[in-house]
Amino acid sequence: MLEYLTAGLLLQLLINGILFGTMYGLAAIGLSLIFGTMHIIFLSQGAVIVLMAYFCYWLFTLLHIDPYISTVILGSAALLLGAGLYQLLFRRAVRMEDKNISLLIAVGLMFLLENLMAVVWTANPRSISTSYTSSSISIGNLDISFTRLMGFVIAILATVGVTLFLKRTLIGKAVRAASEDIEAARLVGISPHRGNTATFAIGIGLSGIAGIAISTTYPFDPYFGFIFSLKAMIALALGGLGSVSGALLGGIILGVLESWAAFFISGGWADAIGYGVFLLVLMFKPEGLFVRSIKKA
Amino acid sequence: MENRLLEIKDLAVAYGEAQALWGVSAHVEKGSVVSFVGANGAGKSTLLRTIAGMNRPHRGGVFLEGRKLSGMRPEDVVNSGISLVPEGRRLFSRLTVTENLELGAYVSRARPSSTESLERVYGLFPILKARGRQIAGSLSGGEQQMLAIARSMMSNPSILMLDEPSLGLSPIVVKLMFELIGTLNRTGMTILLVEQNIYQALKISHRAYVMKTGRIAMEGSGEELLANPDVQNAYLGTLEETDA
Repeated sequence: MLEYLTAGLLLQLLINGILFGTMYGLAAIGLSLIFGTMHIIFLSQGAVIVLMAYFCYWLFTLLHIDPYISTVILGSAALLLGAGLYQLLFRRAVRMEDKNISLLIAVGLMFLLENLMAVVWTANPRSISTSYTSSSISIGNLDISFTRLMGFVIAILATVGVTLFLKRTLIGKAVRAASEDIEAARLVGISPHRGNTATFAIGIGLSGIAGIAISTTYPFDPYFGFIFSLKAMIALALGGLGSVSGALLGGIILGVLESWAAFFISGGWADAIGYGVFLLVLMFKPEGLFVRSIKKA
Repeated sequence: MENRLLEIKDLAVAYGEAQALWGVSAHVEKGSVVSFVGANGAGKSTLLRTIAGMNRPHRGGVFLEGRKLSGMRPEDVVNSGISLVPEGRRLFSRLTVTENLELGAYVSRARPSSTESLERVYGLFPILKARGRQIAGSLSGGEQQMLAIARSMMSNPSILMLDEPSLGLSPIVVKLMFELIGTLNRTGMTILLVEQNIYQALKISHRAYVMKTGRIAMEGSGEELLANPDVQNAYLGTLEETDA
């Protein structure tokens, strides 16, 4: 095998890993925001991503809407869906401050979505093939798939958007404040529910974007989401809580690890390596790779 | 002198089975410094937290200019014009100094005047302007306390409540802090103060209440209480040291 090993090949694997890893990263950002502000482990994130992929599939096959136009439609729809999910399912659980209840709701929602999707779209894998699905861009010896590259670009834009929202807008600052100290936030007049609604909207909005990127690139089925949630959690552990760019980087690292593991060992090992790294990070650097441990003054 | 801005009537609060306040009645006149002093566990912090809406009373009420506050959520209490500087400062330590101040003016009553409020707190605490882009967690203890007070001032309150502002500060900074509170009051701010540093608190107070196990034990002007032998024996045994 080693005779095939060239710098070009390693680079190609690296790029594939980065491109797929940004999808983990997008999901991880949503998880990070939702966990950071409400301490909800939103296990249904992956199922929502797949649901969005199916909607994109429908818009494409039934209405012939190009997936990249769907990004705008489904991205906004996902923002609303997120706000709705919070108000309908999580608002009361958050008020009761019971993490078990919110985790159970998230798991229940995941099963509900998976089974609904299996009823509506069957369990057979679906994929979207557009005129540009198999086109790729060649740079030297490297081949970069157009749809994967687009997914990457959209993911970066979305991350920049979320970062700007959190850093520049008053409600974004309020969300950061509330995620650090909810009581102090209420004392300056921040209503927790408003911030939580915004957080959920963003988290689910990102899964809308991830769903579209995935639907244009990989075949998906209703049960694909759970593994995806787990991967996003690994990315989150790698990147550390409370950092948007950390979550994205964590996703990218996981993607690269999987890409290399799949090539050098075998495809089946890719997942095992991912979970192994997850455990190692939790054991030796539980605050994440990019977070310096700051002692509180 | 019956210009009562805040009226506390027969307030009773319990944490589960533990009764923390047993029918506390008190009032704060407009433009004055009123303090609640007493030992640890006397119920002083509970009183402030109840006024701020963090705890619910099971009896009695809190009234700001005749309007009932008790039962409101904390975020609505701030918007009615009472701001609490909580014990231990509780800054948003990962946000910058400026961001902390901006969030201080989050409530709708404060937003239209936030630019003027910012100028005002920078005038009172020039160091905060210099530290504007620093992370709040990187400030010194005294600077953090100033930022906590400034953040509360940003909400443009009619009453500023301070819970143990001297906690964890060096003696020199404590002195500075009480001078600052006096200065704030002279600019027209009504102040409700809770302190374990009884000597310093009484010195700047127009009126004060001594609390004991969830009840008001004594009431009087700051000077009266300072001169009171019972207060001296019970709380001011370390007078010389505190004044150093």
